[in-house]
Amino acid sequence: MLLYSISLTGLLLLSCIVQQFLPSVSSWYDARILILPLIVLCGSVTVSTGTMLILAYLGGFLWDAQQILSVTQGDPVVYQNSPDSLKFGYSVVLYTLMGFLMQGIRPIFREGKWYLSAALTGVAIFLYLFVEYLLRGFVVGGFNLNDGMLQQIWATSILTMLLSPLIFWILFRVADLCGHTIRYKN
Amino acid sequence: MKPLNFLALILFIAGLVWVFTLSEKSVRHIQQSYYSAISPLIKKGSESESFANKFLEEVAHSADLEKLVEQVIEERDRFKLIAGRVRELEGENNQLRNALNFKKKTQFDVVAARVVRKQPQMWGKTIEIDRGTDDGFEAEPEFDLCVLASNGGLVGRLQLSGEQISSVLLITDEISQVSAKVEGTSEVGIVVGRQTTFGQTPQLRLRYLSKTAILQKGLKVYTDGRGKLFPPNIPIGTIEDFEVGPVYGEAEIKPAVDFTNLKNVFVITDSPGD
Repeated sequence: MLLYSISLTGLLLLSCIVQQFLPSVSSWYDARILILPLIVLCGSVTVSTGTMLILAYLGGFLWDAQQILSVTQGDPVVYQNSPDSLKFGYSVVLYTLMGFLMQGIRPIFREGKWYLSAALTGVAIFLYLFVEYLLRGFVVGGFNLNDGMLQQIWATSILTMLLSPLIFWILFRVADLCGHTIRYKN
Repeated sequence: MKPLNFLALILFIAGLVWVFTLSEKSVRHIQQSYYSAISPLIKKGSESESFANKFLEEVAHSADLEKLVEQVIEERDRFKLIAGRVRELEGENNQLRNALNFKKKTQFDVVAARVVRKQPQMWGKTIEIDRGTDDGFEAEPEFDLCVLASNGGLVGRLQLSGEQISSVLLITDEISQVSAKVEGTSEVGIVVGRQTTFGQTPQLRLRYLSKTAILQKGLKVYTDGRGKLFPPNIPIGTIEDFEVGPVYGEAEIKPAVDFTNLKNVFVITDSPGD
Protein backbone atom coordinates (compact mmCIF):
# COMPACT_ATOMS: atom_id res chain seq x y z
CA MET A 1 0.00 0.00 0.00
CA LEU A 2 2.77 2.41 0.98
CA LEU A 3 4.77 1.60 -2.12
CA TYR A 4 1.69 2.10 -4.28
CA SER A 5 0.98 5.47 -2.62
CA ILE A 6 4.54 6.60 -3.26
CA SER A 7 4.26 5.45 -6.88
CA LEU A 8 1.01 7.40 -7.18
CA THR A 9 2.77 10.50 -5.90
CA GLY A 10 5.49 9.89 -8.48
CA LEU A 11 2.84 9.64 -11.19
CA LEU A 12 1.35 12.90 -9.98
CA LEU A 13 4.70 14.67 -10.28
CA LEU A 14 5.22 13.09 -13.69
CA SER A 15 1.82 14.38 -14.79
CA CYS A 16 2.96 17.96 -14.00
CA ILE A 17 5.68 17.45 -16.60
CA VAL A 18 3.42 15.71 -19.12
CA GLN A 19 0.85 18.51 -18.74
CA GLN A 20 3.38 20.91 -20.30
CA PHE A 21 3.45 18.79 -23.45
CA LEU A 22 -0.29 18.63 -23.94
CA PRO A 23 -1.45 21.50 -26.13
CA SER A 24 -4.99 22.78 -26.33
CA VAL A 25 -6.97 21.75 -29.40
CA SER A 26 -7.65 25.15 -30.89
CA SER A 27 -9.85 23.67 -33.61
CA TRP A 28 -12.16 22.05 -31.01
CA TYR A 29 -13.24 24.73 -28.53
CA ASP A 30 -9.72 25.11 -27.16
CA ALA A 31 -10.24 21.83 -25.34
CA ARG A 32 -7.32 20.32 -23.45
CA ILE A 33 -6.42 17.17 -21.58
CA LEU A 34 -6.11 17.86 -17.88
CA ILE A 35 -3.79 15.03 -16.96
CA LEU A 36 -3.00 16.10 -13.40
CA PRO A 37 -6.63 16.20 -12.21
CA LEU A 38 -7.19 12.95 -14.06
CA ILE A 39 -4.41 11.21 -12.11
CA VAL A 40 -5.96 12.48 -8.86
CA LEU A 41 -9.43 11.26 -9.91
CA CYS A 42 -8.33 7.85 -11.13
CA GLY A 43 -5.96 7.43 -8.22
CA SER A 44 -8.67 8.36 -5.71
CA VAL A 45 -10.78 5.39 -6.61
CA THR A 46 -7.90 2.95 -6.11
CA VAL A 47 -6.90 3.98 -2.59
CA SER A 48 -8.39 4.41 0.87
CA THR A 49 -9.97 7.69 1.99
CA GLY A 50 -6.89 8.75 3.94
CA THR A 51 -4.56 8.31 0.98
CA MET A 52 -7.11 10.03 -1.26
CA LEU A 53 -6.98 13.09 1.00
CA ILE A 54 -3.19 13.26 0.74
CA LEU A 55 -3.37 12.73 -3.03
CA ALA A 56 -5.98 15.49 -3.43
CA TYR A 57 -3.89 17.81 -1.29
CA LEU A 58 -0.74 17.25 -3.33
CA GLY A 59 -2.63 17.49 -6.62
CA GLY A 60 -4.42 20.68 -5.63
CA PHE A 61 -1.24 22.25 -4.33
CA LEU A 62 0.70 21.51 -7.51
CA TRP A 63 -2.20 22.62 -9.67
CA ASP A 64 -2.46 25.97 -7.91
CA ALA A 65 1.29 26.47 -8.04
CA GLN A 66 0.92 26.11 -11.78
CA GLN A 67 -2.37 27.91 -12.39
CA ILE A 68 -2.96 30.69 -9.87
CA LEU A 69 -2.14 34.11 -11.24
CA SER A 70 -0.43 36.49 -8.90
CA VAL A 71 0.97 39.93 -9.54
CA THR A 72 2.58 42.60 -7.40
CA GLN A 73 0.13 45.21 -6.21
CA GLY A 74 0.50 48.82 -7.23
CA ASP A 75 0.31 51.90 -5.05
CA PRO A 76 -2.82 51.43 -2.89
CA VAL A 77 -3.64 55.13 -3.26
CA VAL A 78 -4.23 54.59 -6.98
CA TYR A 79 -5.24 50.92 -6.98
CA GLN A 80 -7.72 51.19 -4.14
CA ASN A 81 -9.67 48.10 -5.12
CA SER A 82 -6.99 45.45 -5.41
CA PRO A 83 -8.02 42.71 -7.86
CA ASP A 84 -9.55 39.72 -6.17
CA SER A 85 -8.48 36.31 -7.35
CA LEU A 86 -9.03 32.80 -6.11
CA LYS A 87 -7.04 32.00 -3.00
CA PHE A 88 -4.08 29.67 -3.36
CA GLY A 89 -5.28 26.29 -2.15
CA TYR A 90 -8.84 26.41 -3.50
CA SER A 91 -8.02 23.51 -5.83
CA VAL A 92 -7.19 21.36 -2.81
CA VAL A 93 -10.80 21.73 -1.67
CA LEU A 94 -12.20 21.07 -5.14
CA TYR A 95 -9.92 18.08 -5.70
CA THR A 96 -10.99 16.65 -2.34
CA LEU A 97 -14.67 17.00 -3.27
CA MET A 98 -13.97 15.30 -6.59
CA GLY A 99 -12.03 12.60 -4.75
CA PHE A 100 -15.02 11.92 -2.49
CA LEU A 101 -17.25 11.78 -5.57
CA MET A 102 -14.98 9.14 -7.08
CA GLN A 103 -14.79 7.22 -3.82
CA GLY A 104 -18.59 7.04 -3.81
CA ILE A 105 -18.50 4.32 -6.47
CA ARG A 106 -15.33 2.64 -5.23
CA PRO A 107 -17.16 -0.59 -4.28
CA ILE A 108 -18.42 -0.89 -7.86
CA PHE A 109 -14.95 -0.12 -9.16
CA ARG A 110 -13.48 -2.83 -6.94
CA GLU A 111 -15.93 -5.29 -8.48
CA GLY A 112 -14.13 -4.67 -11.76
CA LYS A 113 -16.52 -2.17 -13.35
CA TRP A 114 -13.83 0.38 -14.08
CA TYR A 115 -15.76 1.90 -17.00
CA LEU A 116 -18.26 3.51 -14.60
CA SER A 117 -15.41 5.24 -12.82
CA ALA A 118 -13.96 6.25 -16.19
CA ALA A 119 -17.29 7.87 -17.11
CA LEU A 120 -17.44 9.53 -13.72
CA THR A 121 -14.05 11.17 -14.29
CA GLY A 122 -15.67 13.07 -17.17
CA VAL A 123 -18.53 14.20 -14.93
CA ALA A 124 -16.12 15.16 -12.15
CA ILE A 125 -13.91 17.18 -14.52
CA PHE A 126 -16.98 18.95 -15.91
CA LEU A 127 -18.18 19.83 -12.40
CA TYR A 128 -14.71 20.90 -11.35
CA LEU A 129 -14.26 23.25 -14.31
CA PHE A 130 -17.78 24.62 -14.05
CA VAL A 131 -17.44 25.34 -10.33
CA GLU A 132 -13.99 26.84 -10.89
CA TYR A 133 -15.36 29.12 -13.59
CA LEU A 134 -18.26 30.20 -11.39
CA LEU A 135 -15.90 30.83 -8.47
CA ARG A 136 -13.69 33.01 -10.66
CA GLY A 137 -16.73 34.96 -11.79
CA PHE A 138 -17.98 35.27 -8.22
CA VAL A 139 -14.64 36.53 -6.93
CA VAL A 140 -14.20 39.19 -9.61
CA GLY A 141 -17.85 40.13 -9.35
CA GLY A 142 -19.11 39.39 -12.85
CA PHE A 143 -20.48 36.23 -14.38
CA ASN A 144 -20.09 35.66 -18.07
CA LEU A 145 -22.07 32.51 -18.74
CA ASN A 146 -22.13 31.71 -22.43
CA ASP A 147 -22.09 28.90 -24.95
CA GLY A 148 -18.36 29.24 -25.56
CA MET A 149 -17.61 28.55 -21.91
CA LEU A 150 -19.87 25.48 -21.80
CA GLN A 151 -18.44 24.13 -25.05
CA GLN A 152 -14.91 24.58 -23.78
CA ILE A 153 -15.76 22.81 -20.52
CA TRP A 154 -17.56 19.83 -21.98
CA ALA A 155 -14.99 19.36 -24.74
CA THR A 156 -12.21 19.38 -22.15
CA SER A 157 -14.16 16.94 -19.96
CA ILE A 158 -14.70 14.51 -22.83
CA LEU A 159 -11.10 14.74 -24.02
CA THR A 160 -9.81 14.13 -20.50
CA MET A 161 -12.30 11.32 -19.87
CA LEU A 162 -11.17 9.51 -23.03
CA LEU A 163 -7.72 9.18 -21.51
CA SER A 164 -8.98 7.68 -18.24
CA PRO A 165 -8.92 4.00 -19.41
CA LEU A 166 -5.22 4.40 -20.15
CA ILE A 167 -4.62 5.91 -16.71
CA PHE A 168 -6.56 3.08 -15.06
CA TRP A 169 -4.51 0.56 -17.02
CA ILE A 170 -1.29 2.21 -15.81
CA LEU A 171 -2.59 2.23 -12.22
CA PHE A 172 -3.47 -1.47 -12.41
CA ARG A 173 0.02 -2.25 -13.69
CA VAL A 174 1.65 -0.15 -10.99
CA ALA A 175 -0.57 -1.77 -8.34
CA ASP A 176 0.47 -5.23 -9.56
CA LEU A 177 4.13 -4.26 -9.36
CA CYS A 178 3.67 -2.84 -5.87
CA GLY A 179 1.60 -5.77 -4.65
CA HIS A 180 -1.37 -3.51 -3.94
CA THR A 181 -4.85 -4.99 -4.35
CA ILE A 182 -7.31 -2.70 -6.10
CA ARG A 183 -10.07 -5.13 -7.04
CA TYR A 184 -11.89 -7.47 -4.68
CA LYS A 185 -10.35 -10.92 -4.83
CA ASN A 186 -12.65 -13.54 -6.35
CA MET B 1 -12.44 5.44 11.51
CA LYS B 2 -9.14 3.68 10.93
CA PRO B 3 -6.17 5.27 12.76
CA LEU B 4 -4.29 5.88 9.48
CA ASN B 5 -7.29 7.60 7.91
CA PHE B 6 -7.66 9.72 11.03
CA LEU B 7 -3.98 10.69 10.85
CA ALA B 8 -4.36 11.55 7.16
CA LEU B 9 -7.40 13.71 7.97
CA ILE B 10 -5.48 15.58 10.66
CA LEU B 11 -2.57 16.13 8.27
CA PHE B 12 -4.97 17.23 5.55
CA ILE B 13 -6.69 19.79 7.78
CA ALA B 14 -3.36 21.11 9.04
CA GLY B 15 -2.11 21.40 5.46
CA LEU B 16 -5.28 23.17 4.40
CA VAL B 17 -4.98 25.71 7.21
CA TRP B 18 -1.34 26.30 6.30
CA VAL B 19 -2.04 26.75 2.58
CA PHE B 20 -4.94 29.15 3.13
CA THR B 21 -2.91 31.31 5.48
CA LEU B 22 0.06 31.71 3.17
CA SER B 23 1.02 35.33 2.52
CA GLU B 24 1.02 36.68 -1.05
CA LYS B 25 4.81 36.77 -0.93
CA SER B 26 5.02 33.12 0.09
CA VAL B 27 2.59 32.12 -2.67
CA ARG B 28 4.66 33.99 -5.20
CA HIS B 29 7.82 32.36 -3.89
CA ILE B 30 6.24 28.90 -4.20
CA GLN B 31 5.05 29.66 -7.72
CA GLN B 32 8.43 31.09 -8.71
CA SER B 33 10.22 27.99 -7.39
CA TYR B 34 7.78 25.74 -9.22
CA TYR B 35 8.08 27.77 -12.43
CA SER B 36 11.89 27.78 -12.27
CA ALA B 37 11.94 24.03 -11.76
CA ILE B 38 9.59 23.31 -14.60
CA SER B 39 10.65 26.06 -17.03
CA PRO B 40 12.95 23.88 -19.19
CA LEU B 41 9.99 21.55 -19.70
CA ILE B 42 7.65 24.44 -20.47
CA LYS B 43 10.02 25.50 -23.24
CA LYS B 44 10.04 21.99 -24.66
CA GLY B 45 6.28 21.84 -24.21
CA SER B 46 5.75 25.07 -26.10
CA GLU B 47 7.87 23.70 -28.94
CA SER B 48 5.72 20.57 -29.10
CA GLU B 49 2.59 22.74 -29.02
CA SER B 50 3.87 24.80 -31.96
CA PHE B 51 4.64 21.57 -33.80
CA ALA B 52 1.19 20.15 -33.08
CA ASN B 53 -0.52 23.35 -34.21
CA LYS B 54 1.50 23.43 -37.42
CA PHE B 55 0.64 19.80 -38.03
CA LEU B 56 -3.07 20.45 -37.51
CA GLU B 57 -2.90 23.42 -39.86
CA GLU B 58 -1.18 21.21 -42.42
CA VAL B 59 -3.92 18.60 -42.04
CA ALA B 60 -6.62 21.25 -42.44
CA HIS B 61 -4.95 22.65 -45.53
CA SER B 62 -4.23 19.31 -47.16
CA ALA B 63 -7.92 18.66 -47.84
CA ASP B 64 -8.23 22.03 -49.57
CA LEU B 65 -5.10 21.38 -51.57
CA GLU B 66 -6.41 18.05 -52.75
CA LYS B 67 -9.48 19.73 -54.21
CA LEU B 68 -7.29 22.33 -55.77
CA VAL B 69 -5.05 19.74 -57.38
CA GLU B 70 -8.08 18.24 -59.06
CA GLN B 71 -9.05 21.61 -60.50
CA VAL B 72 -5.85 23.21 -61.64
CA ILE B 73 -2.71 22.08 -63.35
CA GLU B 74 0.40 21.19 -61.36
CA GLU B 75 2.45 24.10 -62.58
CA ARG B 76 -0.11 26.67 -61.54
CA ASP B 77 -0.25 25.11 -58.07
CA ARG B 78 3.46 25.33 -57.73
CA PHE B 79 3.42 29.03 -58.53
CA LYS B 80 0.59 29.56 -56.12
CA LEU B 81 2.55 27.92 -53.37
CA ILE B 82 5.59 30.03 -54.21
CA ALA B 83 3.46 33.16 -54.20
CA GLY B 84 1.96 32.14 -50.87
CA ARG B 85 5.38 31.61 -49.38
CA VAL B 86 6.54 34.99 -50.68
CA ARG B 87 3.53 36.66 -49.07
CA GLU B 88 4.25 34.86 -45.83
CA LEU B 89 7.88 35.97 -45.90
CA GLU B 90 6.79 39.48 -46.81
CA GLY B 91 4.42 39.53 -43.81
CA GLU B 92 7.11 38.19 -41.53
CA ASN B 93 9.57 40.70 -42.93
CA ASN B 94 7.15 43.58 -42.28
CA GLN B 95 6.51 42.34 -38.78
CA LEU B 96 10.21 42.11 -37.98
CA ARG B 97 10.80 45.50 -39.61
CA ASN B 98 8.10 47.01 -37.39
CA ALA B 99 9.64 45.32 -34.40
CA LEU B 100 13.08 46.66 -35.28
CA ASN B 101 11.72 50.15 -35.84
CA PHE B 102 9.91 49.98 -32.52
CA LYS B 103 13.09 48.96 -30.72
CA LYS B 104 14.92 51.90 -32.33
CA LYS B 105 12.13 54.40 -31.64
CA THR B 106 11.18 53.53 -28.09
CA GLN B 107 12.45 55.64 -25.23
CA PHE B 108 12.64 52.62 -22.92
CA ASP B 109 15.30 49.98 -22.46
CA VAL B 110 13.61 46.98 -24.00
CA VAL B 111 14.35 43.33 -24.62
CA ALA B 112 12.68 41.79 -27.66
CA ALA B 113 11.00 38.42 -27.15
CA ARG B 114 9.03 35.89 -29.17
CA VAL B 115 5.71 34.56 -27.99
CA VAL B 116 6.18 30.81 -27.68
CA ARG B 117 2.85 29.83 -26.18
CA LYS B 118 -0.55 31.45 -25.84
CA GLN B 119 -2.88 30.83 -22.94
CA PRO B 120 -1.27 27.73 -21.42
CA GLN B 121 -3.95 27.77 -18.72
CA MET B 122 -7.62 26.94 -18.90
CA TRP B 123 -8.98 30.31 -17.80
CA GLY B 124 -6.11 32.67 -16.96
CA LYS B 125 -5.02 34.92 -19.80
CA THR B 126 -1.29 34.58 -20.06
CA ILE B 127 1.35 34.06 -22.72
CA GLU B 128 4.83 32.65 -22.51
CA ILE B 129 7.85 34.35 -24.06
CA ASP B 130 11.31 33.04 -24.86
CA ARG B 131 13.21 35.28 -22.45
CA GLY B 132 13.96 34.62 -18.82
CA THR B 133 16.46 35.00 -16.03
CA ASP B 134 19.27 34.13 -18.47
CA ASP B 135 18.41 37.37 -20.25
CA GLY B 136 18.67 39.45 -17.10
CA PHE B 137 15.12 39.23 -15.75
CA GLU B 138 15.02 38.82 -12.00
CA ALA B 139 13.35 35.69 -10.63
CA GLU B 140 11.68 37.61 -7.81
CA PRO B 141 11.75 41.26 -8.88
CA GLU B 142 10.64 44.25 -6.80
CA PHE B 143 8.30 45.31 -9.59
CA ASP B 144 6.76 43.41 -12.50
CA LEU B 145 8.32 44.25 -15.86
CA CYS B 146 6.00 45.84 -18.39
CA VAL B 147 5.44 44.16 -21.78
CA LEU B 148 4.58 45.95 -25.03
CA ALA B 149 3.61 44.88 -28.54
CA SER B 150 5.51 46.01 -31.62
CA ASN B 151 2.91 48.72 -32.27
CA GLY B 152 3.73 50.15 -28.82
CA GLY B 153 0.46 48.98 -27.26
CA LEU B 154 0.35 47.59 -23.74
CA VAL B 155 0.35 43.79 -23.59
CA GLY B 156 0.70 43.12 -19.87
CA ARG B 157 3.35 42.50 -17.29
CA LEU B 158 5.81 39.77 -16.47
CA GLN B 159 4.45 37.41 -13.87
CA LEU B 160 7.01 34.63 -13.46
CA SER B 161 10.43 33.96 -14.96
CA GLY B 162 12.29 30.73 -15.58
CA GLU B 163 15.76 30.43 -17.10
CA GLN B 164 14.76 30.88 -20.73
CA ILE B 165 11.07 31.46 -20.50
CA SER B 166 8.70 33.87 -18.76
CA SER B 167 5.00 34.09 -18.18
CA VAL B 168 3.21 37.33 -19.02
CA LEU B 169 -0.13 38.24 -17.49
CA LEU B 170 -2.18 39.97 -20.20
CA ILE B 171 -4.13 43.14 -19.44
CA THR B 172 -7.24 41.29 -20.63
CA ASP B 173 -7.20 39.01 -17.57
CA GLU B 174 -9.69 39.80 -14.80
CA ILE B 175 -7.01 40.30 -12.15
CA SER B 176 -5.09 42.81 -14.27
CA GLN B 177 -5.47 46.50 -13.38
CA VAL B 178 -3.93 49.44 -15.22
CA SER B 179 -4.23 53.04 -14.14
CA ALA B 180 -5.25 54.97 -17.26
CA LYS B 181 -6.23 58.35 -18.69
CA VAL B 182 -8.35 59.33 -21.66
CA GLU B 183 -6.70 61.57 -24.25
CA GLY B 184 -7.88 65.15 -24.39
CA THR B 185 -9.83 64.91 -21.13
CA SER B 186 -9.09 65.01 -17.43
CA GLU B 187 -10.67 61.59 -17.00
CA VAL B 188 -8.63 58.92 -15.23
CA GLY B 189 -9.67 55.43 -14.22
CA ILE B 190 -8.57 51.83 -13.93
CA VAL B 191 -8.57 49.50 -16.94
CA VAL B 192 -9.53 45.93 -16.02
CA GLY B 193 -9.82 42.77 -18.09
CA ARG B 194 -13.03 40.83 -18.50
CA GLN B 195 -13.83 37.15 -18.23
CA THR B 196 -14.00 35.78 -21.77
CA THR B 197 -14.11 32.25 -23.12
CA PHE B 198 -13.61 30.36 -26.37
CA GLY B 199 -14.73 32.37 -29.40
CA GLN B 200 -14.95 35.70 -27.59
CA THR B 201 -12.67 38.62 -28.35
CA PRO B 202 -10.65 40.00 -25.44
CA GLN B 203 -12.36 42.90 -23.73
CA LEU B 204 -11.30 45.71 -21.45
CA ARG B 205 -13.30 48.04 -19.20
CA LEU B 206 -12.24 51.47 -18.01
CA ARG B 207 -13.77 51.89 -14.56
CA TYR B 208 -14.13 54.65 -11.98
CA LEU B 209 -14.70 57.45 -14.49
CA SER B 210 -16.82 60.42 -13.48
CA LYS B 211 -20.51 60.17 -14.28
CA THR B 212 -20.43 63.48 -16.09
CA ALA B 213 -17.62 62.46 -18.44
CA ILE B 214 -18.22 63.14 -22.12
CA LEU B 215 -16.35 60.37 -23.89
CA GLN B 216 -16.78 59.75 -27.57
CA LYS B 217 -16.10 56.56 -29.44
CA GLY B 218 -12.57 56.42 -30.79
CA LEU B 219 -10.88 58.43 -28.03
CA LYS B 220 -7.56 56.91 -27.12
CA VAL B 221 -6.73 55.55 -23.67
CA TYR B 222 -3.18 55.60 -22.32
CA THR B 223 -1.44 54.53 -19.13
CA ASP B 224 -1.12 57.50 -16.81
CA GLY B 225 1.94 56.31 -14.90
CA ARG B 226 0.32 56.48 -11.48
CA GLY B 227 0.51 53.56 -9.09
CA LYS B 228 4.10 52.45 -9.81
CA LEU B 229 3.10 49.62 -12.13
CA PHE B 230 3.29 50.96 -15.69
CA PRO B 231 5.22 53.83 -17.29
CA PRO B 232 3.03 56.71 -18.57
CA ASN B 233 1.69 57.27 -22.10
CA ILE B 234 1.59 53.69 -23.33
CA PRO B 235 -1.44 53.10 -25.57
CA ILE B 236 -4.00 50.73 -24.08
CA GLY B 237 -6.84 51.02 -26.56
CA THR B 238 -9.70 53.15 -27.83
CA ILE B 239 -13.10 53.86 -26.34
CA GLU B 240 -15.94 51.87 -27.88
CA ASP B 241 -18.80 52.74 -25.58
CA PHE B 242 -19.49 54.73 -22.42
CA GLU B 243 -22.09 53.91 -19.78
CA VAL B 244 -23.08 55.83 -16.69
CA GLY B 245 -23.49 53.64 -13.61
CA PRO B 246 -25.00 54.45 -10.21
CA VAL B 247 -21.70 55.74 -8.79
CA TYR B 248 -19.15 55.85 -11.60
CA GLY B 249 -18.97 55.97 -15.37
CA GLU B 250 -17.56 52.96 -17.19
CA ALA B 251 -16.22 52.63 -20.73
CA GLU B 252 -15.75 49.66 -23.03
CA ILE B 253 -12.24 49.66 -24.49
CA LYS B 254 -11.02 48.05 -27.69
CA PRO B 255 -7.42 46.93 -27.00
CA ALA B 256 -4.63 48.57 -29.00
CA VAL B 257 -3.00 45.17 -29.32
CA ASP B 258 -4.28 42.32 -31.46
CA PHE B 259 -3.87 39.59 -28.85
CA THR B 260 -4.85 36.78 -31.21
CA ASN B 261 -1.98 37.48 -33.59
CA LEU B 262 0.66 38.44 -31.06
CA LYS B 263 4.02 37.06 -32.14
CA ASN B 264 6.72 39.42 -30.88
CA VAL B 265 6.74 41.52 -27.72
CA PHE B 266 9.11 43.87 -25.92
CA VAL B 267 9.86 43.77 -22.24
CA ILE B 268 10.67 47.15 -20.68
CA THR B 269 13.54 46.58 -18.28
CA ASP B 270 13.39 50.09 -16.70
CA SER B 271 11.59 50.64 -13.44
CA PRO B 272 8.10 52.03 -14.11
CA GLY B 273 8.81 54.66 -11.42
CA ASP B 274 6.06 56.86 -10.18
